[in-house]
Amino acid sequence: MALIEVKNLIKNFDGKNILRGVNMELHEGRSKVVMGPSGCGKTTLLRCLNLLIAPTAGQIIFKGNDITRPGVDIRRLRQDIGFVFQHFALYSHLTVEENVTLGLRKIKKMKKKDAVEKATYELERVGMFDHRNKYPAQLSGGQKQRAAIVRALAMDPAVMFLDEPTSALDPQMSREVVTVINKLYLDNITMLCVTHDPFLAKYISDSIVFMHEGVVVAEDIAERLFYDHDDPRIRQFFLSVIDHR
Amino acid sequence: MTFWKILIILAEGAGYTILVTIAAMVAGLAVGLLTAVLSRLHRKYVDIFLDVYKYIFRSIPVLVILFLVYFGLPGIGIRVPPFLSMVVSLGLVSGAYLAEIFRGAMAAVSNNEMMAAEAAGLKRTQIFSHIILPQMFRMSVPGMINEFTSILKYTPFAYTVGIPEIMKAAMTLAAMTLRGLEIYLAAGIIYFVIYKGFIMMFAAVEKKFHIPGLLVE
Repeated sequence: MALIEVKNLIKNFDGKNILRGVNMELHEGRSKVVMGPSGCGKTTLLRCLNLLIAPTAGQIIFKGNDITRPGVDIRRLRQDIGFVFQHFALYSHLTVEENVTLGLRKIKKMKKKDAVEKATYELERVGMFDHRNKYPAQLSGGQKQRAAIVRALAMDPAVMFLDEPTSALDPQMSREVVTVINKLYLDNITMLCVTHDPFLAKYISDSIVFMHEGVVVAEDIAERLFYDHDDPRIRQFFLSVIDHR
Repeated sequence: MTFWKILIILAEGAGYTILVTIAAMVAGLAVGLLTAVLSRLHRKYVDIFLDVYKYIFRSIPVLVILFLVYFGLPGIGIRVPPFLSMVVSLGLVSGAYLAEIFRGAMAAVSNNEMMAAEAAGLKRTQIFSHIILPQMFRMSVPGMINEFTSILKYTPFAYTVGIPEIMKAAMTLAAMTLRGLEIYLAAGIIYFVIYKGFIMMFAAVEKKFHIPGLLVE
């Protein structure tokens, strides 16, 4: 059974159809990347999946439960989903360690000592332990994103959502972050990542979902999508993003 | 009577000045914070009430409000002691200004951070207490210092309701000795020293809670 199953998901904003019937599945231990031109609904899809945005219609089955039904425990659902944002969204008044431990203490109700231990373990995994006492403003973009990944990962979510995790970074910092996400991929962490970055997509995904104007038009492995695809929309998109790198 | 002796006599009133200032600061903070929190509920009638409160208390001079509380309320059977009258009046005026400072600081808290907290599964109250409030206070520090120094400068009004603070002592002494220049100069020096003391205290607090990249410089 799929961990997440999306059935005919629709989202309208001010009369505009952002998602026009998205169907997809994500299985446990698998990693999927969503790509497509700007405005195709990738980020909206991700935010609908953890109900940061309420879908207009359709179904999202998460761990066998339809989470679009009324009465669903949204906070409980979100604890199962680690969310990494494009612009890091680290709490700017907290140190890296405090960013990681806040959720552990306030949501998972861990004792401070245990939360710090957990944070230490996760920060060491991504080479951020030495930066644990720094504030977000004292970190580089790559370090911020690695800290944000740790913050999400420390909660032991069932799935990690990554929304354009490298698009606010320069190539060198982007590589740092790709390395970390690739490590998660190799550790079989279930991931759903939205990106424009073919380099990231290739190294962290089992398959790539291509979206266009609010629908999924193809799903395949990187090699088959990136080069000479039959669909001109896909060919055009990858020609432009690969050329630009 | 030497200048030093004048300073010592006036300094006896400084205790009341400091007490009124601190009490009014606490009252202002409480009112300002409550107003700012209530404004986040985005309830139409609450918003109207808060807007009217802020508009009125920022428009009417403190002295008028103080007289209304101290001399006006007994007319309807409510007697408010002098110290409480002063603290309530200054607290309400200061709260109206602080509410605006807090509102601005809250608006400056990154939406991305709030969304991240929401996405993590934090409750609204937790987001408010652990994300919004700590940042709001830090970003409000310059505005709060400004407001607190205003409170200090309003405290001489306390003499009008009989609180024996610096100005009351200075006026009594000037009436007895007719040495207004030295006495009011001494009063000015004492206010300056108190002001400086508060500023140093605020600077220490600001330094302690300073976070790189967060505080409005």
